[in-house]
Amino acid sequence: MQRFVLPPLAQHNIIVIDPAHGGPENGAQLSDSLSEKDATLALASRLRSVLQSHNFTVVLTRDGDPAAGLTTDQRAEIANHSAAIACIVIHATATGNGVHLFTSSLQPKSKQALLPWATAQAGFVQQSGDLSGQLQTALYRDHLAAAQAQFSISPLDNLACPAVAIELAPLATDGDTKAAGPGDDNYQQRVAESLATALVFWRGHFDPSAGAQ
Amino acid sequence: MIPRYQRILFAVLLGSSILMAAYLIHLHHKRMAQLAALSDATPISAPYAADAETVTLAIANDADGTITASDDLVALPTEPGARTRALLEHLLATYTLPQSTHPLAGGPSIDDVFLLPAEPPQPRPAEPPLFTAPDATDNSDSAGSSSQLAVINLHGSFVQGHPSGVLPEMLTLQSILGTLHANLPQITKVRFLVDGQQAQTLAGHVALDRIYTVTDTTTSPAPSTPATTGDNTQ
Repeated sequence: MQRFVLPPLAQHNIIVIDPAHGGPENGAQLSDSLSEKDATLALASRLRSVLQSHNFTVVLTRDGDPAAGLTTDQRAEIANHSAAIACIVIHATATGNGVHLFTSSLQPKSKQALLPWATAQAGFVQQSGDLSGQLQTALYRDHLAAAQAQFSISPLDNLACPAVAIELAPLATDGDTKAAGPGDDNYQQRVAESLATALVFWRGHFDPSAGAQ
Repeated sequence: MIPRYQRILFAVLLGSSILMAAYLIHLHHKRMAQLAALSDATPISAPYAADAETVTLAIANDADGTITASDDLVALPTEPGARTRALLEHLLATYTLPQSTHPLAGGPSIDDVFLLPAEPPQPRPAEPPLFTAPDATDNSDSAGSSSQLAVINLHGSFVQGHPSGVLPEMLTLQSILGTLHANLPQITKVRFLVDGQQAQTLAGHVALDRIYTVTDTTTSPAPSTPATTGDNTQ
């Protein structure tokens, strides 16, 4: 069984952002001219800028569109070596409404020094749920629809950090809110700022020892 | 005497006509092959006659990401594998209707369903114990022997036409798992194949290369009568 050693102590200032897909893997086709890999990179870049203005150190698993895409295992390796307080995996879809937040469906377990690769997230499930709740609250506060769910999505199960997959879906018209697609600049900026607000709160309340054996 | 330029023009037009005809014939054959691949009507089980019965479908809704129980009448065969296949085909066919809350492409969806024991058979002890105390609370044997693993072989064209995204892919799997849970409680685990092969994801996001536990996935109560599980299992 593949295992790796957990880094000594999570840095209180590091956020890992993983814009899903890239390279030959386009992901979903959101419109005639926009593929998921471009929308995820755009949102990741916005989120990085906002987080850096709050003095976070941000690690992006990809900063462009490399010819050879990263595998989900490679993305997890980058995240796990960063000892981050939060790992955010970004997706986009043409289906649904608002922002979808997903966490791992693994059964929670105590954190151990040596983690099985396939279930590395098990020791962080509780923290990931808390982080997802914080993100949802911040999105609600900014009048953005947000829904949470637990399911098996790569590479969440392999991440040794509080991890949430964020899927940006079209925003439906609701009251003063105008409809917007996942590629809309204003919509992406609003989402990035909401997520950053939640992550600033998370940094202030993050307990690296939570869930440790 | 026909001028030289008219003869050349005639030859060019004739050649173009032949090339266009050949190209059209090629496109026709290509399209027919695509249609034949999509509409595989090979019968894999004998036709059956059965009365319509009430089943509970776990219906997905993309707008709010919910799964809602909904009753429907459908005639199902009695053979368990064919019954499971017919139930899931009926479920996925409802998503191809114009008013669907979770629109999916039409065409065949389920190639086959195989039902296997969920747990591998336990080796028999070399020598039976001399005395076994009766244990009224131990019913693990009977429960274990009845639980089944359903291997669902999805049609490749269904997977290729499935909307890509975490939410739509998750809802399709939850809809299948919830429908099995409501109607075929002996199925406790599900494994998915695509055209007989293991696939990593359904449409690029949600994992298909793992065994799913069948649970109640409904997130909203049934709008009318309580969910009917009935005695519709074999």
